Amino acid sequence: MRLPPASRATLLVVALCSSGGALLGQVAGGTEGSELERSGRFAQAADFYLAILRADPANPTALLGLERVLPPLNRLPELPPLAERAVALRPGDPDLEGLLVRVWVTLNFADSARGVAERWSRRDPGDPAPYRELALALEDQGAFEAARAALVTARASAAQPDAFAVELGQLDARAGDWEGAARDWVRALRARPGLIANATGLLATAPVVRRPAVLSVLIETEGAAGPAARRLAADLLLTWGDPSRAWTVIEPTVRAMSDETTDALRHFADVAGAAGTASAWRARGLALSREADLADLASPAVSARTRADAGRAFLEAGDLVAARGEFERVEADSAAPLEAQQLAAATLISALVADGRLDSARTRLEHAGQLLTTDQRTALQLEIAQGWIRVGALDRADSALGDDSSLSVVAEHGWIALYRGDLARARALLGAAGPYAGDRRDVTGRAAMLALIDQISDDELPALGQALLALMKGDSARAVPALRAVAGRLPPAAGRADVLLLAARVAAHLGEDGERTAATLCADIMQAAPAGAAAPAAELLWAELLEREGATALVVEHLEHLILTYPESAVVPEARRALERARGAIPRS
Amino acid sequence: MNRRQFVRALGGAGAWALVQPRGLVLGAGGGSLLIPMDDQQTDHLKAYGLVYRGVQSGLASEWFLNYRGGSFLIDDTDAIRRDAALAGVALQSVGPDALAAIRGEIAATNADSVPLEKAPRVAVYVPPNQPPWDDAVTMALQYAGIPFEKVWDVEVIGGALAHYDWLHLHHEDFTGQYSKFYLLYAGAPWLADMVRVNTEAARRLGFRTVPDLKKAVARAIREFVRGGGFLFAMCAATETIDLALAAEHVDIAASYASGTPIDPGADAKLDWSQTFAFTGAHIEPNPLIASFSDIDGHQVNAPGRRQPLGAFTLFNFSAKIDPVPSMLVQNHRQVIPDFYGLTTSFLRTRLKPSVTVLGDEEGAPWVKYIHGDLGQGTWTFFGGHDPEDAQHQVGDPPTDLSLHPHSPGYRLMLNNVLFPAAKKRELKT
Repeated sequence: MRLPPASRATLLVVALCSSGGALLGQVAGGTEGSELERSGRFAQAADFYLAILRADPANPTALLGLERVLPPLNRLPELPPLAERAVALRPGDPDLEGLLVRVWVTLNFADSARGVAERWSRRDPGDPAPYRELALALEDQGAFEAARAALVTARASAAQPDAFAVELGQLDARAGDWEGAARDWVRALRARPGLIANATGLLATAPVVRRPAVLSVLIETEGAAGPAARRLAADLLLTWGDPSRAWTVIEPTVRAMSDETTDALRHFADVAGAAGTASAWRARGLALSREADLADLASPAVSARTRADAGRAFLEAGDLVAARGEFERVEADSAAPLEAQQLAAATLISALVADGRLDSARTRLEHAGQLLTTDQRTALQLEIAQGWIRVGALDRADSALGDDSSLSVVAEHGWIALYRGDLARARALLGAAGPYAGDRRDVTGRAAMLALIDQISDDELPALGQALLALMKGDSARAVPALRAVAGRLPPAAGRADVLLLAARVAAHLGEDGERTAATLCADIMQAAPAGAAAPAAELLWAELLEREGATALVVEHLEHLILTYPESAVVPEARRALERARGAIPRS
Repeated sequence: MNRRQFVRALGGAGAWALVQPRGLVLGAGGGSLLIPMDDQQTDHLKAYGLVYRGVQSGLASEWFLNYRGGSFLIDDTDAIRRDAALAGVALQSVGPDALAAIRGEIAATNADSVPLEKAPRVAVYVPPNQPPWDDAVTMALQYAGIPFEKVWDVEVIGGALAHYDWLHLHHEDFTGQYSKFYLLYAGAPWLADMVRVNTEAARRLGFRTVPDLKKAVARAIREFVRGGGFLFAMCAATETIDLALAAEHVDIAASYASGTPIDPGADAKLDWSQTFAFTGAHIEPNPLIASFSDIDGHQVNAPGRRQPLGAFTLFNFSAKIDPVPSMLVQNHRQVIPDFYGLTTSFLRTRLKPSVTVLGDEEGAPWVKYIHGDLGQGTWTFFGGHDPEDAQHQVGDPPTDLSLHPHSPGYRLMLNNVLFPAAKKRELKT
């Protein structure tokens, strides 16, 4: 026999009542009712929930169900008496009281809602929930002013000027009263300084035209709120891209040593460092320099390290003078740990190299004397030599390396020979350096270059040296045609495809035109030298170019072709990984 | 022609198409292919996907239990060879004589052959939000190329499990306490999102609280197993689904989740006749300790109780007598390094007598990997979060399985996926 839904609901309620399972009743009622709701049968769902309430008048699941299904039936006015009865049975139950508040607000009876909230609040005077629920309900209806008024009244009656500061701060912002929001957040910070990140997150969205007023409130209320308001203002200025002013705002609050000051400076430095602009790096440098000054007496070692960090921040900002000042202080500080002094000296020399002042760098390296370790000296010699290579002064690069016999220096001499086009000497020196000089990237780069020039039978090929030197100097646009020209002069089986592949790899990083060139070169390589090692590598590069275009189907097609055609190629594992990524089988890294 | 058109045009119809695949030996159909699962296999995890897809496409295949690490035999077709080449899975062509020799060896040793008949329809229970931790099984399925669908509370309550054969539970907390991270990670956006999603689901489905919803979901999952479903759970889902089932009539959730404090007499009111695996456990009442009960032996988030990681050993079952547990432990390694999870292991004293232990740590009071029957279906619980990230922390990046293609821990998960494909036959134990 198939019963109509209402009869089934009644039977179910009777069965549940007789089994006495209140929880079971809630769950079963919930699932049956929600099934009816899901199928859009709101009237039947309402009947079902009303049947449950007849057996259990304070059943919150049924009441919440009615709160959902009665509005579309235009029958919400039926709910208040039921909810009132439930509250009378279970006074102070937050679910039921909250529901009653919401229903009255939805029905536009704000006074009744307020009355419920007041009665609820009287039962538990310390509980902020009644007014919070009222304010949220009003907010949901778009009655922001009424919500705010409710909270202001609640604050006054609680005689706590900072009560509901967070809620009011959010409401003020939502209503467009950004100055009011700033004032309320200052109040909130007074009680809970840890809320500064929340305050920043909210106030940061203030429209550009209102930002000066917000800052004015924060900076002028320093006396009332303590340094937290200024620090909030500094955070906002960092977020709004004005790190210089941010520093001037926070600076008066970080003049005396304390844990709080250190935390504030560290936070400021971290936020500024994350911004990544030159002025933000400078602000970070200023904050770290101040931290180093304050820590100087208490902990000289910490101070020296922090000062070295400040120096690096100034370097990032391009402020070589300020960086030099910090590093020189570390270098001259006899109390500084040796590694901090070494770091300062080395960073200064590196900075000079980066600035193109290679002679000054060499002089300073000579003066640094025994302060630096042998490894540090060698690394700086290499940096200086590479600086000379970048400006095309290969003889000076050779001379900067001196007669050091370390493998890194041997490798660098090999590169210099290569840039001169002396392939025979380059093969010998790069081969002698083997896999032992430099980091993994250096080793890989050297091995790849050796593999390339081993294909070429010539011992002297100045045009290739010039092309590779252009590449080293970062002149990729010149390098690509130069490499293509060199390739054109090589026999097909003697390095032509490999040189073209190098050209294609460089071109792939040169924007739209470069990508077009790279794709053409890949096609040429695959057609002209399908049997060599360059062909699968070219196809992999081609797939990468297609991936950039979002042509996933073609990427998959190419990679499958590569794997099936060249199963012995060294690039197959990489191709398989790319294929898995294209298919979404592994996370994108 | 702009760059996009140019690169695509060149890529789609270029000269590359002239270069025909020469690495793949095609046209060798008719015989059989052995997919070795010992150390000769080049990608153990993808091998499972290959077999799954083969079974799905109707190829005859067998699982050689205890033969070369649990190898597979499958029809030799061009499609399967191509699939294997792309996936990097090692294959061996097997002629009639070689196959006869293999069958002879299987007959003479502790090995057996199980036909694989039907690729199971796979569902993964996963929340719609993005929790800051990954799910090992989801990653294993994606990596192996085994298709699956996602279900969550709405689908489970709505009866959608009837459409699937196999269900994996993401790292859900079925006690409804948000993995007990509510207080520890208060203010974290991901937690706020998790609370919002769960609260909305509870409200939408007509439940008063999230714990009430999760209890109903746990019951629906138990009915799925009773009706013949295969359940595989890891990490916290193992422990909490049993706690939720035992706590049908008692509040075991902290007040932040249920609105009321934990019933002080909860331990005594738990009904263990309703659970899959565990019995007699005690609830962890402290909301600041991310531990649910004393089922877990390692208690990774309980200061003072945390136990160090060791290694667990898989049991060697008789393939001919106990094919089901044998399938679940097929591996090329018998001893596997342990790994933490919100629930890492299961105390022996908390196991029901009917539970089959598949893997344990010798001499330790806990076990790692367990299995059992319920009604017409079966369940398997595996402690821990990620076999290749033993200390996985909230917010850590997902594991890249292409770096762990031979992971013995992940193999155990994939054994579970293929196990429902095995042809049913009467078990001898």
